[in-house]
Amino acid sequence: MDSNKKYWKGLEELNNTPEFVEKNKHEFAEPIPIEDVLSGDGLLGKTPRRDFLKAVGYGVGAVTLAACQRVPVHKSIPYLIKPEEITPGIANYYASTFEGHAILVKTREGRPIKIEGNPNDALARGGLSASAQASVLDLYDVSRVKAPVQDGAEKEWSDLDDYVKLELAKIKDAGKKIRIVSSTVTSPSTLAVIADFIGQFPGAKHVTYDAVSYTGIIQANQNSFGKAVLPHYHFDKADVIVSFGADFLGSWISPVEFTAQYVQNRNNKSLQGKKMSRHIQFETGMSLAGTNADVRIPLKPSEEGIALINLYNAITTGTTLLGSKKLSDNATNNAIILAAKELQKAKGKALVVAGSNDVATQVLVNAINAALGSYGTTIDLDNSSNQYAGNDAELVEFINEAKTGDVAAVLFMNANPVYDYYNAKELTAALAKVPLKVSFADHMDETAAVCNVVAPNHHYLESWGDDSAVAGYYTVLQPTINPVYNTRQAEESLLIWSNNTVPVYYTYVRNNWDKNILAQGGLSGQKGWETVLQTGFIKVADKPAGSYSFSRDLNAVAQTILAQSAQLAAPGDNKMELHLYQTVAMRDGKRANNPWLQELPDPVSKVTWDNFAAISLTDIKKLNLQEGDVITIDVNGTSIALPVLLQPGQAEGTISVAVGYGRAKGGVVIESGVGKNAFPFHSFRNGTFQTTGVAAVSATGDSIILAQTQTHHSYEGRNNIREASFTEYKKNPYKNSGKDGAHKDYKSLWEDYSDTEYKNSPYNWVMAIDLNACTGCGACVVACNAENNVPVVGRDEVRRRREMHWIRIDRYYSINEEGKSITEEREIDKLANLNNVSVVHQPMLCQHCEHAPCETVCPVLATVHSSEGLNHMAYNRCVGTRYCANNCPYKVRRFNWFNYWNDSRFENYLAEQHTQLVLNPDVTTRFRGVMEKCSMCIQRIQAGKLKAKIEKRPVKDGDIKVACQQTCPANAIVFGNGKDPNSEVSKALRSERTYYVLEELNVQPGIGYQVKVRNTTELEA
Amino acid sequence: MRSISLIFKKFSGSVLLLACFTVLGFTAKAQGDAAKGDAAKGEALFKSSGCTGCHKIDQRMTGPALGPVMTKETDDKFLTQWIQNNQALIAAKEPRAVSIFTQYNQAGMPAFPSLQDADVANILAYVRAEWKKEQAATPAPAAATAEASGPSNLVVFGLIGVIILAFIIILVLNRVVATLERLLSKGGVPIIEEEVSEEAIPVDRWATVKKLAKNKKLVFFILFCGTFALGSWTWFALWNTNVHTGYQPVQPIKFPHDLHAGIMKIECQYCHSGAFKSKNASIPSLNVCMNCHKTIDRTLSSKTASPEIQKIYDALGYDPQTQKYDSTKARPIQWIRIHNLPDFAYFNHSQHVKVGGLKCQTCHGPVETMKEVYQYSPLTMKWCIQCHKRTDINMKGNAYYENMIQVHDLIKRGVKVTPAQLGGIECGKCHY
Repeated sequence: MDSNKKYWKGLEELNNTPEFVEKNKHEFAEPIPIEDVLSGDGLLGKTPRRDFLKAVGYGVGAVTLAACQRVPVHKSIPYLIKPEEITPGIANYYASTFEGHAILVKTREGRPIKIEGNPNDALARGGLSASAQASVLDLYDVSRVKAPVQDGAEKEWSDLDDYVKLELAKIKDAGKKIRIVSSTVTSPSTLAVIADFIGQFPGAKHVTYDAVSYTGIIQANQNSFGKAVLPHYHFDKADVIVSFGADFLGSWISPVEFTAQYVQNRNNKSLQGKKMSRHIQFETGMSLAGTNADVRIPLKPSEEGIALINLYNAITTGTTLLGSKKLSDNATNNAIILAAKELQKAKGKALVVAGSNDVATQVLVNAINAALGSYGTTIDLDNSSNQYAGNDAELVEFINEAKTGDVAAVLFMNANPVYDYYNAKELTAALAKVPLKVSFADHMDETAAVCNVVAPNHHYLESWGDDSAVAGYYTVLQPTINPVYNTRQAEESLLIWSNNTVPVYYTYVRNNWDKNILAQGGLSGQKGWETVLQTGFIKVADKPAGSYSFSRDLNAVAQTILAQSAQLAAPGDNKMELHLYQTVAMRDGKRANNPWLQELPDPVSKVTWDNFAAISLTDIKKLNLQEGDVITIDVNGTSIALPVLLQPGQAEGTISVAVGYGRAKGGVVIESGVGKNAFPFHSFRNGTFQTTGVAAVSATGDSIILAQTQTHHSYEGRNNIREASFTEYKKNPYKNSGKDGAHKDYKSLWEDYSDTEYKNSPYNWVMAIDLNACTGCGACVVACNAENNVPVVGRDEVRRRREMHWIRIDRYYSINEEGKSITEEREIDKLANLNNVSVVHQPMLCQHCEHAPCETVCPVLATVHSSEGLNHMAYNRCVGTRYCANNCPYKVRRFNWFNYWNDSRFENYLAEQHTQLVLNPDVTTRFRGVMEKCSMCIQRIQAGKLKAKIEKRPVKDGDIKVACQQTCPANAIVFGNGKDPNSEVSKALRSERTYYVLEELNVQPGIGYQVKVRNTTELEA
Repeated sequence: MRSISLIFKKFSGSVLLLACFTVLGFTAKAQGDAAKGDAAKGEALFKSSGCTGCHKIDQRMTGPALGPVMTKETDDKFLTQWIQNNQALIAAKEPRAVSIFTQYNQAGMPAFPSLQDADVANILAYVRAEWKKEQAATPAPAAATAEASGPSNLVVFGLIGVIILAFIIILVLNRVVATLERLLSKGGVPIIEEEVSEEAIPVDRWATVKKLAKNKKLVFFILFCGTFALGSWTWFALWNTNVHTGYQPVQPIKFPHDLHAGIMKIECQYCHSGAFKSKNASIPSLNVCMNCHKTIDRTLSSKTASPEIQKIYDALGYDPQTQKYDSTKARPIQWIRIHNLPDFAYFNHSQHVKVGGLKCQTCHGPVETMKEVYQYSPLTMKWCIQCHKRTDINMKGNAYYENMIQVHDLIKRGVKVTPAQLGGIECGKCHY
């Protein structure tokens, strides 16, 4: 019945090294000096009577003195004039925008404390990413620029305006050039402001570039179809998805939206309709999309182009591009042919994407997609995406202009090229020749530090504005708090400096909407604007997506691709192919000062607070390295030293490094030193920034321990993942769920709750987690941090296994070799490589067991069961014996080793009075020495019940949503009342695939998981 | 003594005032008769037409203080026109009308077309008469105070007399004692005898103590009693640590709940409006105070503005003369919190007040009789739980409870439906 496939969390666990076994046996990562105390001087040493009495006397005296204080007087300060809409104690929600997604901002007593998805968001239907959840913390960041700065000194806005206006006037008279350098601007009003500014200054030009660029796709579309746009992809319409290094679930273009789309063909509903999409991923390093793929094939960057050429040849039967050659690896060759067959079968419902930023590669991908009839179905060029519009060549051109001294002023808007441009030295030298450098950065980042004027921008929660992530979708941005510091919106600065007739940005936005946007949604005037502020967006019906045919000659393109491949194919010893990627949490590094994101374990490597060099098992042996050894990676003379991480599934001979780390300036977290900057490894080839290269690798002899959470909470080899193939599922939906045969009826030690007073309790709060929907993105972890005031502990404490996250996402590897899964540990020992791993993500949180093992061992009854099926934790009762954590089979209890909220060691994270304004006032912060764990957002349950009572009605299904469920873009988590047979959660738990983790322990968990289904068989057949 | 003098003062003052009023009243009446209107009719009209909503005779409210204004302005024709339809006058740009309009924050006075010329004349007569009465009365109290202080001075002098008398008595008594002692010392011998006996007695006394100390039962009993007393004191002291029943701090404004909630019978929720919808009952913001205190700046009996109410104006930066707010002068009032529930306990007012239908007094005590509010309940967990175990749930007409099988089952079994029965004493219901 049970799946007997072997799953492992990390290499230590796989190899089961004696050190690891020893370490995991103990409760704590570090040995407790109990032995030292008990032996040697510890207890045998004599304590003189006088010393003892002195100590006792001092102790009693000190405690008495400390207790002799007056009870503190608490002040209550009401509003002088209370705004009508605010009732202290009740949250207000405002519609706003984050990166083009419609969101709701929860505010309490006038301060935003949580970001929630707008359930009607056209992109992700209420799903949000980890960075969206974490963005509210940036508002309270003490490292923000607090006032305008000119030449290092704080200034008044009026003085600064006078200075800048004068300078700009001089430049205008001299007829010199002005450049506005920004990352992609998706806001229609901001674009209008920039256009107005350029209208005032004829020498001005807007240079758009993105740290992680998509210029390749845009230019390829220009070449292929004459449309220089980023298409809008529809993964929901694709039955077969083949991705070449595009991490579309983690970081590629619009991952949250794509996750929501992708899961529609893989969730419970789709499976019950016997339908499941198929996802094949060819990639170098293990990405989030790769972990979710049905088939994942490691592929070197140098072979990506060749593989695509082969795929093209196989799809367009009869054509063979000039110079086509087979791949070095036979299995990969076969995989390409099989993938081509499947794609052809799914014509019109197929989608091929590539992560490369190379124009030639993307042209080839366009040709493949056109041959598959994807345009008009899975790819929409007519309702294009605005999310990335950068042009890499423009930035390079700007630098060249600056070098000659032609540029007299540059304004950096949401751009930090000194950090993320590959040749920062060249850029800094060029900038030295620009007399007026203005940055609108809200942190004193690397670029702002070399600017003579810093005009700090508002945080987005303090701003008015709008956004349009895809054509026809307009979202509105409204402030939810008065500016915390003396900042001003960048757009307003531009309006003032260009002497615009409308110098107030709010009015400007209003005018722009009145004139151009409201009418598109059938609205008008004040009433229309107020409607938009309520709903948050306007969605114009999509234009019909046209189908496009590809007619260009591809032979030249193939030549370019092949030439590049030849360059990349690493020559010589200790040379490896380098592949740069973005992590899900850090992305391009703009939010690097956010401790929530830094502590979010990477979905694949589970590393926090650092980046690293991921290499394969074969290479680590070849280089004679151990995990954690620091190596120097040298690309064209630029080198950085990074610790090595053994990554199963990494293509052999390659090395993957994440960008977005190693920021030098811009906040206390950044300046505490987090990772190394890999942006200098980018190169400018064929008109775009490329993320691949050749690296020389050498060991430094140093070694560090990465703060990795993956093996912290061990099950000691117990089997808690269940998996089935889609074919098996279709034959028998109960496959591997443990229900398809001998389902054991476990005897219980305790009296059944159904016999007690509680049997008629109207609620039993339970949860269902669909392992097939969960992509492992980690948004739930940050949402939980924000909702439940979970502290950040920092790198050192994570190394000691002391991270505090209430929900973690366990990532399990399993190995398939030659079409069969490995079932025995000894078979694993014999494996030559770990390339063919498949991955399962499992969110793990308190299971709220009916027979909770933690409850029976608590000596002070601090954790007890409730009539509503919850496992309560009374912090003030807890004395910190930690028995409960020891006895928890799921290892979900967390101990507060420090008073993280008021301890100078944690000042950089959340132990800062100002930062603590983000705390949820409905949840207590826990003190040193107590246990904590997931409460199933009991504050939300209580609030939901109270609302029903006030409205004199029973609680409706869906009234109460827990934080992790609410943010999940994949809707993998369903929460509700198990006693209501019609609730969503009851329906989900009745699914054939439902199983309970460690069911055999008979702890009767309240959280049911649904078997992971993998659509694998077809390729093997 | 002070209170007695106060009573004296009040009593004699009011007698004098009464006398003054009677005299002045006659003269005023005589004068009123001389004027055109009928003051008595005017008074009735003044009160029934809604004038009092914005006007007082002696004091500025939304509109000007009528007494001085109408006495100064003798053009009755203008006044009549103004009262009947002031907007027409303003529209006609009558300079006097415009100046009044701008001077009083452009607050539009409603037109009173129903008032005939005669009616207005009556009102004018009433106002003028009333103002004269008051003006005449104003110097009188000064005289009255001077006289009124007489009795109180008498009391003070009386007191001083009593004290002097007491001193004299003490002195005399001292003399008597001294004389008696002198007489005794003349006897001589008995005193020496006493001294001898005094030397002998201590020996005996210690002997008794020693004897008693040897009685083990007694020693045990005393020790036991001592331990018991000390132990129970410690026990109760510890139990009541951090329990602040009766805590009555001095608030920045002496806000009398007995006046507002008791005498004036203002609903608790009028000010503490959060109690019905939020977890916080909330201290009212000052704009709620100003709903009434914009026009009420003194107690009923007082003739001068109350310094406590003035504190509201100061906090808001409000100038009662110009009736304008100056937000730069605004300073929030820092009330001292009386009911301090610890942070780890979640309490929601709306659950108890709106859903449970509890009276505020159940936990806060007879606030309507408190001059200064104090903590009435101990706010301990024991106190919470006791109530949760004893109180019936208010479920009538609430579909939330009525559709609950659990409730039906409890009723069927004859069990009282209390919050505790529905899980209301589980840890996680208040601690999260």
